[in-house]
This record gives sequence, C-alpha cells and structure tokens, in this order.
Amino acid sequence: MSLAEGKIEFDETDFADTRAAMQKWEHFPASTISHHGGQCCQIAREWVLSTDYSQLNAGNPLTGPRWIRQKYTWGASTWPIYWCEAVEQKKLDCGALAALTQEVFAARGVRSYHAQFIQQYSEAATRQWSNSWNCDEACVHWIKEDLIYHEGCAVAVRDNEIRLWDPSAGWWVNPRQFGGYGGLLAVRVFAPQFNAPTGFLWGTQRISPNQWQKIERVRGDFAVAAAK
Amino acid sequence: MKIYISGLYSGTNPQPGIGIARSLRAAYPDATLVGVEYSNRCSGIHWADLDEMWLQRPWEELNLEVYAADIKEALDAGALWISGVDLEIMWLASVFPEGHKNLLTPSTAALKKISKPAVEAHKGLPVSIPPFVTTERSDWELHAFCRQHGWKVWLKGPYYEAVRTHGWDVFDRVRTLLSRAWSTERLFLQTHVTGYEESVCFSAYQGELIDSVYMRKRELTEEGKTWAGDVTEVPEEFTTPLRRIIKELNWTGGAELEMVRDMGGQLWLLECNPRFPAWIYGSTLAGHNLPALLVERATGVPARREVNVCEEFTRVVLEIPVRSQFPLPSLPEPYPGGIGHSMKHPSGTLALAERLHKLHVMESDGNGNGNGNGNGNGHHGRTNIAEAPVVPSSFIDDLKAYNFAEMETPSWLFLESTASELFKRAAGLASKLSTSTLTVTNAYSLKTNPDERLLRIARESGFLAEAISLLEVQKALQTGFRPDQVILNGPGKWWPEGLLPTSPIHAVFCDSIADLKRVVASMERKELQAKIVGVRLRTPTVGSRFGIPVDTPEALKKLVDAIELLPRECAFGVHFHMASSNIGVGQWWHLYESVLRWCRSIETLARRQIECLDVGGGWFPDDWQSDSGDQFAAAIARARNFLPFVKQIISEPGKAMAQPSMAVAMRLLEFEESSEEEVTEAVVDGSIAELPMHFFQPHRILRQDKQTGEWQTLKHGKTHLWGRLCMEHDVVASNVELPEGVRPGDVLVFCDAGAYDRSMSYVFGRG
Repeated sequence: MSLAEGKIEFDETDFADTRAAMQKWEHFPASTISHHGGQCCQIAREWVLSTDYSQLNAGNPLTGPRWIRQKYTWGASTWPIYWCEAVEQKKLDCGALAALTQEVFAARGVRSYHAQFIQQYSEAATRQWSNSWNCDEACVHWIKEDLIYHEGCAVAVRDNEIRLWDPSAGWWVNPRQFGGYGGLLAVRVFAPQFNAPTGFLWGTQRISPNQWQKIERVRGDFAVAAAK
Repeated sequence: MKIYISGLYSGTNPQPGIGIARSLRAAYPDATLVGVEYSNRCSGIHWADLDEMWLQRPWEELNLEVYAADIKEALDAGALWISGVDLEIMWLASVFPEGHKNLLTPSTAALKKISKPAVEAHKGLPVSIPPFVTTERSDWELHAFCRQHGWKVWLKGPYYEAVRTHGWDVFDRVRTLLSRAWSTERLFLQTHVTGYEESVCFSAYQGELIDSVYMRKRELTEEGKTWAGDVTEVPEEFTTPLRRIIKELNWTGGAELEMVRDMGGQLWLLECNPRFPAWIYGSTLAGHNLPALLVERATGVPARREVNVCEEFTRVVLEIPVRSQFPLPSLPEPYPGGIGHSMKHPSGTLALAERLHKLHVMESDGNGNGNGNGNGNGHHGRTNIAEAPVVPSSFIDDLKAYNFAEMETPSWLFLESTASELFKRAAGLASKLSTSTLTVTNAYSLKTNPDERLLRIARESGFLAEAISLLEVQKALQTGFRPDQVILNGPGKWWPEGLLPTSPIHAVFCDSIADLKRVVASMERKELQAKIVGVRLRTPTVGSRFGIPVDTPEALKKLVDAIELLPRECAFGVHFHMASSNIGVGQWWHLYESVLRWCRSIETLARRQIECLDVGGGWFPDDWQSDSGDQFAAAIARARNFLPFVKQIISEPGKAMAQPSMAVAMRLLEFEESSEEEVTEAVVDGSIAELPMHFFQPHRILRQDKQTGEWQTLKHGKTHLWGRLCMEHDVVASNVELPEGVRPGDVLVFCDAGAYDRSMSYVFGRG
C-alpha cells in the first residue's frame, strides 16, 4: 500500500525486515516428498504423474498444474510426508504442493527448480494462519510477524529465463512486484546441480541461485520517463 | 475546445466514451466535452465530466444524411470527434471518404486492413492469427474445422459477439441467431486460444504513432471483459513494426490490438479495434493519456501531464446522479412468460449494422479462412470459397446401381464399392504397420452398423468382430466370424444370458471391477474362455461412464489389486475408447498418449505385462482417411516405446468404415417460398428417424440433374429441409441451397448415413 505524501513515497514494505526474515529461513531446506520404497508410494507416485499428463489436456507442458491445488486444499501438513500419505490428504501445505509440482514438471520434461519465497501479508492474515496451524498442531515456524516463508517452483521457460509458479495459489508470480499485501520480498532458487545456470532471469531481474535474494520493487515510473 | 465523444454505454461490456472523457478532462480541464449517444438508456450519459449531451435517436430511426450533415457542421466549426463505437467509425469513414482534420478516426481503407478475423495489417507484428474459417463454407468443412480444433472454437459475429460452440447442434443454433442478428451469413469460426489476455493500445495521428501502452488483464468479468489490469511499456519489437503499420494505414485515432498469450509465450491476435478501449483511463492513470495526446497532436494545444502514476488499475461500481434533463426511461414490459426486459442494444447497433450492409459500407476484401501461421496465408477472398462439399467419386459410382425413379422413399442405399474400398484400405494399413513381433489388427464394432453386408466385408478384410452383447456375438457368428475372432466389450456384454460361445473368444475387456471379478469367476468355472483378458480404462478428465476409473489413488490401487486376480494363462490387455469426432483429433491423440502412460503405470504396479492394446477410435471418416499412415505408424512406435511387451494392437476404426458406406434417399414433398421468392423451407419424406445423427454431424446431400443425369452436391444456402414427422426438431438439413429446377418428387440422397444414423434409426410416424 502506498502512502503518498507530496513527492516522497513511503511503502509499508520499506519497513519490512526482509533481512531478518532471510536469516530466519536461511537454513530452511526446500521440501521434498519421501518414498517408503514400497508399492504404497509407488502407486501414489504413478498416480500423480499419470494424472498430471491426463490433466494437461493437450496443453503446453509449461502450463501450471492447477489440478493439484484443486484437489488439495492449502493447509498444514505433517513432516516428513511420504507419497502414499500426501495423496491421501485433504490438505497440503505449500512445501508439499511445491514438491509434488516439482515432480510433475520433471516428469513432463520441463526444467524446474525448487524455489522459496518470503512474502509480506498483514498481521491479521498471519494471526489467522497461526491459529489454523495451531489447531492442526502444526509448527508455525514459517511465520514471522507479517512475513511468511512460502514455497514454489522456478520453471525454466527458455535458456535461463524462469517463471515462478506458486502452487498454493495456482498462478505465476508477477515479476513486476510493488510490495504490499501478498508482495514477494525475497526469493531463493535452488539449483545445486553441477551444470545448473549461474544466474536466472525473472522478468527483468537477475536471480542468483542457492541464496536468498531481495526482490527489486517496481516504482511504476516508466510513464514519467516516457513523458520526458 | 469542443470535443464530441461517442460510445457511452457503461454496462458490464462497456464502451470507451467515459474513459475517454475522464482522460480528456484530466488533460483539458476547460475543454467542452460533448457526449454523443443513441439511447437515453445508456448510463454513461449521466457522467459528470461530460459538459453537454448530444442525444440522438436510436440508429434504426436516425436519418443518416441529416445526421452526417450535422456532424460535418460541428467538425467544420472546429469541434473534434472521437468515436467509441466501431460501427459509427465505419459509417463516418464512408461519410468522410477524404477524412476531416477534426475527425479523429481511421479511414475506410485502414479499417478494411484491420477487419477481423484475418487482420491483414498485422504482418510484421510478433503475433499469429488463430486459425479461422468463414461460415460461408459448407457445413461439411465447418464440421471438419471444429473436429480439427477439438471443438474449442468460437462462432463470431462480423463486428461483435462471440459464442463458444462446443457441439454441432450448438453451432447450428447459434449460427442462425447471429446471422439473423447481424443480417449476414458472413460469420466465422475461430479456434480458442487458452492463455492470458493482453492488449496494445495506441494513439496515432495521420500515420504517426503518438504513444502506446501494453495492458495485461488482471481481473476479468464473466464475459471476459477487463475489470483490472496493469499497464506497462510496449516492447520495442512490437513498436517498431507497429509504427510502420500505422504509417502504411495512415491511421488516425485510437486503436486496441486484443491478444492472447498462450502458455508457451506466443501471442495470438484476436482483433484490432479501431478505437480506444473501455479501460483507456487505466492507461491515463499510468501516465499515458492517449486520448489527450491525440487531441494535443491534432490541435497543437498542450495537454496537462499527469503526475500521479500507478501502473495497476481496477474498476468499481458507482452510483451517480441522473441528469435532470435525461430522466430514466421506463423499463420495457417483459414479454409474457419471458425472463428479463430484452434491453440488449438499446441504441440500435444491430439496426445500424443492417443499414450499413445495405449501404455496402462494410464490405471487406474477404476473410475466407486462415491457418493462423501469422504470415497471412489462407486469407482468401470470396472467389475461393467452395460452397459445395465434394463427395468421393465412388459414391456416384455406387448410386448408379439404383433406379431412383421407381424407388420407394425414404430408402437406405448401400454403397458397396465405397465400403469395400474403405475396408481394403484399413486392412492394407494394418498389414503395413504389422511387424514380426507386433500384429496390428482391425476390429469392426457391430453396434456401428450390424448390416450383414458390412460384416461380410469386414470379415473378408481380416477384421475381428467387436460385440457389446451376446446377441451381437451371435450375429457375428451367424455371419461367419469364428468365436476366436470375437472381442467382447462394454458394461452389458453378458446380456442375454445363455448365448456365450463355448469355444474360446479372442478377447474380453472388463468394464468395472465387479465385471472383472465376474470374468475371473466365469473363467474359473470354464464357462468363459478367452485368449486375452483385459480391462477398459477410464482416464481422468474423460467424461465417460465406461471403463474402470483411475481418478483417485485408491481407484488405481483397486484396479492394480484386481488385475492380480486375472488368470495368468491368458494374455493381459487394455482397452480404451473415445470418439475422436466428439473430442477432436488433437485431443484424441493426447488421450492416446495419456492412456499409454496409464498402461505403463499399471504394467509396473501390477507386474503384469500388457500384451494387447485395443484402441477404439470413433473416427470421423475424413479424419481417419486424411492420415497417410505416418501418424498411425508413429502411434504404434509410441506404444512399443511405452509397452515393450505388447504383441497385438487392435484398432477399431468404427464409423470411419461404416459412415460413408450408406446413404438415405428421400423425396421432396413440397416447398415454401418466402416473399423474396427464395425457397426457405422444404419438406421431405425422410426424417430424423432415418438421420438421428443430424444433430451431431452434417450430411452431404446429392441431387441428380434430370437433364444431364449428373449428381450435384447441394451448396450452402438458406433453405431448411424439414422432415415428415410432426416433431418441432425434425429438421434434416439447415442452410442448403436447392438447385434451380428442383421439383416436388425429386430425390435427394443424404450421404454419410451408414454408421449410427443407420444403427440408431427408428420407426416413427409410419402407422
């Protein structure tokens, strides 16, 4: 939310302690689904991947798999989570949704990387989520005041150009970020592979892999520049 | 400064007048803004930014000559005119063929270059045009277009309106409605593009681009109209060709290119509107006041620049006071029994379209069809439009065997050489695709048409017989098939009891887990013997009641567990069936690939090798025949790739064989001529009882010229052929043209009736 005062612009996100949030979640690993090594998990995994192909409905492989979020409500998950458990849940958290999505993109032959987000909401929102997670006796270590830790996928669309898929929301994150409610403050893209790119392009921003990186905010000043 | 602004409609599908007025007011606080409207029902006339209101009578009443003179007087007096109505812009272009310095709209020549769907002027832009076809083509071709694009198509009016037509009956009904509404047969079908809607909006004066913006829709109304969006710069790769195009068109005014960006990032141009869009004030909020820049360029009067910049905008609903001089009109009385108040197009837009047609104002160069490759290929003029569908020469040869003069009608005609040729080709293809380790076999589905002549040809062509009941099994055996040439399928395959062959059949496919358990029990009791036992799959997203579902992990597990029960001495197989004519060719091939993946999963999980894959097609004959064999060969290779143990692939070309093999002869009983001496209605002695598939597919219709004996296909026209039944929906053909000289008693031959038309025909109205 912008608070305009004369020619000086303030924004609530200016006061968000992104650095502290990045430190808090510095050692958070990206979520993965575990496998029991037996048929229970094998069936679950085969089901997810074959269902995804059916759901693709002859669409482009880069289509975000919204069917996963349609099937599973967003809510607390218990970790570690196994394939056979995950598919049976009614609710999955962002880590489980992102991990499933990651597998799905990989099965489609689409290059995708685990991505972690720090987003700003409001204390009213995070209080609600804390309540909800507490009711499910789940840990709320993903909440820090009005900031949250979130997971998604960085999908390579060409060369090193990526799009960020938010599987909990079922949308691609807008590379033009203004801060504010729901705004993306920082991102970390995991690309531990030896042949992984040394940098990604997301919109106009360069993203270095394997480290938290603050997102540049759009000031919306293109019009001023054009008018000059 | 006085500026006239038209297009003030402000409902859920708004015109841009209000946005233009708000933009101009911001830039020119002292200008006199005059709203122009054609109905006092348009709420935009009450918008406070408009200083004056020039309310005209609706277009159907308006004396265009007088109105044109009034506008000229206003323009000559120095006022500017910015139109927000496409049809008004077309009309103004015809009123001022040389333009007018104060008329800020494009010329007729420019408008022709952007007429949809081809949008000829798009060349050079990084966009493609979605494939389209004019509805002036034959129904046969239109049906093919819909199948080719998986019925994800829109039927669009020449200027406004688009309706998704997901089936032939819907298409037929909507075509009639739109043709009537817009007073033209020249509608078009265009493929749907899934993606995100984006626009480029620009302002230009005398061929010079002044400014442009890029807008992405961020919220949409139910009609798909913008509710919120973000406005950014237009990329250079777009502005460079756009600048050239604007120069070539000598464009004056606003414009909007409406596009869809698909998931792969490709941009598809849907249309180019010759005016500012309704969201134009969103651009102004982002600091790009395009209407004001247009006025500034036209007048030289500097526009005030916006300082507040926000590149995202949204809409809200506002209540505003009504102008005292334009009190609200009364609500029209609802029609008796009707719903709503029938207030669409209060300003008479449809009447304007009809009037402009009569004045030949909007005749375009033709937008015949297009393949969407973005290079303009396929944008044919009218001369290339083939109105009469072509039939294979074998149809004509087969008809020679019949004496139509003495034939009782309606009568079924068996086209023997056509049938033989089709089965022969299928047999040849199967043989060609077979290898030493994999046999490709055809199967003929008896339900498609159990005519013994077809069964005989099928058997002689090496087809297996696919039956869905024991009665059908008996029919197959009676016509010479051996039990080991029979495939048993479907949910009711055990009906009626007691007719199961005692010797082994070729294959049986279970339609449910219960069915599978019954098969297992039956085999244990030695009542049923089969070389192959398998399951029919119902994959997720397929709207079908048949087969075993795998839509949940539990369902998949149940299937895997059940497969364990199947006797090991039989080969295991999987069957799937979905009519490609219903879901479209591309969708069918995706389904095939999807089934292969499910098969691989099942093979892995059940630890049971899949040795037989039975593929039901429901192919429309033209789609099946158009494949030279390459796609089928690729499909076989894919199957081998996914299922390394598969030894037999059974193909059921179904109606691709049967449909062309029979026709129905009907006689014309009488005509009804309209006041224009056109035959618009004719009655035949046949009916939908003989053509029950009329609602799902068109039929090519032949008529023999009495003088020359030559058979001609009926062209696209305005006649509806009504059946003999006293049923409102008994229409056997719509929009055909009866040839000159046709008389009651003449025979019409409805081709393509050999599949479900024949097998599902019924006795009705015969006493």
